[in-house]
Amino acid sequence: MQDKIRNFSIIAHIDHGKSTLADRLLQFTGALSDREMREQFLDKMDLEREKGITIKLQPVRLKYKARNGEEYILNLIDTPGHVDFTYEVSRSLASCEGALLVVDASQGIEAQTLANVYLAMDLNLAIIGAVNKIDLPGAQPDLVKQEMENVLGLDNEEVLPISAKLGTGIEEVLEAIVERIPPPQGDEGGPLQAMIFDSYFDSYKGAISYIRVFNGSLRKGDIIRMMSSSKEFEVAEIGVLSPYMTEVESLSAGEVGYLAAGIKNVKDTRVGDTITQASEPADKALPGYQEVKPMVYCGLYPLENNDFEKLRDALDRLKLNDASLFYEPESSDALGFGFRCGFLGLLHLEIIRERLEREYDLSLLATAPSVVYKILLTDGSEFYVQNPTHWPPAQKTEQIMEPYVKASIMTPNEYVGAIMELCQEKRGSFVTMEYLTSQRVMITYKLPLSEILYDFFDALKSRTRGYASLDYEIVGYETSDLVKLDIMLNGEVVDALSFIAHNDRAYYRARAIVEKLRRIIPRQMYEVVIQAAIGSKIIARESVKAMRKDVLAKCYGGDITRKKKLLEKQKEGKKKMKQIGRVEVPKDAFMSVMNIEDD
Amino acid sequence: MGAYIHIPFCIKKCNYCDFFSLPLGDQSYLDKYTQALLNEIKIRGQQMPSVQLESIYLGGGTPSLLNGKQLKSILQTITNEFILLPGAEISLEANPATLDKIKLAQMEEAGINRISLGVQSFFNDELTLLGRVHNAKAVMETIELLHTRGWKNFNLDLIYGLPGQSLDKWMQSLKQAADCHPSHLSIYLLQLEEETPMGKDVADGRLKMLNEDDEWYMFDQAMEYLEGKEFDHYEISNFCRPGYECRHNLRYWKAEEYLGLGAGAVSFKNGGRFMNEPHLKQYVDTLSTCKQWPVKELERMSERELMTDALILGLRLCAGIDLNQFKQRFGVDITSEYKEIIAYYRDGGLLNIVNGHLKFTKAGYFLSNQVLCQFIA
Repeated sequence: MQDKIRNFSIIAHIDHGKSTLADRLLQFTGALSDREMREQFLDKMDLEREKGITIKLQPVRLKYKARNGEEYILNLIDTPGHVDFTYEVSRSLASCEGALLVVDASQGIEAQTLANVYLAMDLNLAIIGAVNKIDLPGAQPDLVKQEMENVLGLDNEEVLPISAKLGTGIEEVLEAIVERIPPPQGDEGGPLQAMIFDSYFDSYKGAISYIRVFNGSLRKGDIIRMMSSSKEFEVAEIGVLSPYMTEVESLSAGEVGYLAAGIKNVKDTRVGDTITQASEPADKALPGYQEVKPMVYCGLYPLENNDFEKLRDALDRLKLNDASLFYEPESSDALGFGFRCGFLGLLHLEIIRERLEREYDLSLLATAPSVVYKILLTDGSEFYVQNPTHWPPAQKTEQIMEPYVKASIMTPNEYVGAIMELCQEKRGSFVTMEYLTSQRVMITYKLPLSEILYDFFDALKSRTRGYASLDYEIVGYETSDLVKLDIMLNGEVVDALSFIAHNDRAYYRARAIVEKLRRIIPRQMYEVVIQAAIGSKIIARESVKAMRKDVLAKCYGGDITRKKKLLEKQKEGKKKMKQIGRVEVPKDAFMSVMNIEDD
Repeated sequence: MGAYIHIPFCIKKCNYCDFFSLPLGDQSYLDKYTQALLNEIKIRGQQMPSVQLESIYLGGGTPSLLNGKQLKSILQTITNEFILLPGAEISLEANPATLDKIKLAQMEEAGINRISLGVQSFFNDELTLLGRVHNAKAVMETIELLHTRGWKNFNLDLIYGLPGQSLDKWMQSLKQAADCHPSHLSIYLLQLEEETPMGKDVADGRLKMLNEDDEWYMFDQAMEYLEGKEFDHYEISNFCRPGYECRHNLRYWKAEEYLGLGAGAVSFKNGGRFMNEPHLKQYVDTLSTCKQWPVKELERMSERELMTDALILGLRLCAGIDLNQFKQRFGVDITSEYKEIIAYYRDGGLLNIVNGHLKFTKAGYFLSNQVLCQFIA
């Protein structure tokens, strides 16, 4: 049975055509009729389709009759292609024996792709190279193939030229999957070991887990045990995704599918956990996933104060299939009750926030994002700060440290100068530079994480016309000269707007933020004075003049209905504001203070 | 009850106007329209013959385009179908360019006792910018004519806040208007809808609106000036000689019922707003061929919504809302129902309660939407 199964992932950079290729594989193998087909089928979230990126992996089972006449089951586990989600890529890869590496024929390998391929190689996955978009005018498939050979050691003769858009080379891809990816090698007769690689909550069936069975087998009605908690459940339904949920009798070693067991508490199906049979348990769990630590924190507050419980519930639900999401209740003088949330990066933050708003009908306010600082206090204790509000006073701090990353940037060599300049501006220190081919370079810099979080990626793209790509990993904490900047509205510190800045740049940032707030805070009944301060020292000031005009010049019998609509709209607009003292602050202000264009 | 009669024709549509009107090409169409209007009046008169009219207001468009015969037949039919109370106010909006001695005599004969002149400005460059068909000279001649014929009760409309307008120029227009001894002055801040020619010019950057500080200052100076001239400021944009409020318009702000007659006209009755067919041809055809009243409901208000309507309309009046009367009418004590909102804006100096009336302060008028939108359900 297992020798007819192939489990594989697709590794690709955003925009290199991964989701389109997945669409073609679905169509070619007949998993979907043309009528059912729509673009980016496996990207289940509207958000993904809108942004044109894949965030959440979505498994699918394909049936393929190979040229050798045999029918194979191919389990595709799609992967996200953004640096924030490296962790999810590794989840997918751990459930596969092979990976399909897709590279854009005019872009070449990107830094993030490279990192993911290394992950796959570490897990001993068979790698199939494919050069996509060969139909485009700028395509240089031969150069890219050569790059794949130089950088990754793939045989350039074996790299497949394809066009997912036109459907060129799809059959060759499927043949390569069958021929070059080894079948799973599990023990079908042994005790059950199945890995939960994803899960979500269904209001009727409870938690649904996506699983990969490594050893043994699983049937409906079995009593299963979660190896991390020893909690037991009866299997209510098992099935495969082809691509719609289809019930099956059993899932055995090598197979991928879903499981529902009436699990009501989302915490009982932890991603990375191993499932076994209660009657004949395995003696140890599969190597789980590394616990990921959030990189960036921000406060999320409901605009309506009584939505706090609703927000908690929504976060609980999202946490189910996103182990990397962290949250705990906190309160703010300005904003009331909310949660301090931890994310893998800013895209992750943005996605969670949008999902909370769309899927759970919440209106949220996000505070300025912050990394986790490490502070040695004068009493010798160590203190981690995720929320600038908790920054200790200067006289109590001995040493302040911030997280640093090693950033790898791949770029055509003509942009080396521009990139080095950018990294210097962002307090980076040069590590190495190496030539991948005669035109492509990989530059490595050490940078504070806080500097690359906000606008580094955009700046990199704009200074290299989109040609450079970035990957980074945390390398640890280093001492830094940091200060807390407070923002005051009409003399009152707004705790939710406080943030940490490097001392050398605090003045510049304070000016820029105060100026930005002046632009985004609308004129209102009273003048609004905006100030930035370090401790008690004011270092920047702006003001928003009092509003002068907000009136309907005319209101007569014929247009009362219309004029009322204008007032209704205005009232709606007020709902998007947070009242802080006497000041109405647009809810986006808290996030946007961070996106300040440098110089 | 008051009746509004809509005459949706103009010689030429003004550049800032978003009211429902069409350029009148063919004079004979006015006859057809008048006939349809008469039919509507008859149909509705039959539905409610006991309605007593305290005011009639002919608006537009440009009602002064009606000839004597048309005007007379309209008012005659109304008198026949409804009960026109003695001393009723009968207003007519007129374009200064459309009035002459004969026309005025016809109006007097038809029963018009109040005229509202769309002056807008006393400067030709401003009138050109607005796309008005008259010039400053025509305004002076028309006013002269009104005086000669003994008219006391007439209004002048002015617009301020025009792109490029200086405070000085605005005040000159205002003074000139006051010097014409009108019984009533409406001063409107220019507010452009995007679909109007001027609105488009602003959107595309060909015209630049004044900033709000300047607009407010023009309003503030106008209030001060007109007070000095002993005009009563009785509604955000309206001033009058003591006792010369426009009684018809007061109905709107007091949230009283009214009938709308003519294409696109709105009626407010029995807790609902209704709009007549706005499409001219449809309106005329339905009334001339089918003898049916073409109307649809715009909105139906709950008791609560009627109350908030009365609140946001009533606050437009400088006298504000009589809290006792309001409580008797709606059973709601505003001061407890909206305690927090009122306290907040009293504190902010926009609202006040004086002698049992809730009203805007002088500083409040120009920021009234800030407060009014809080009362919306």
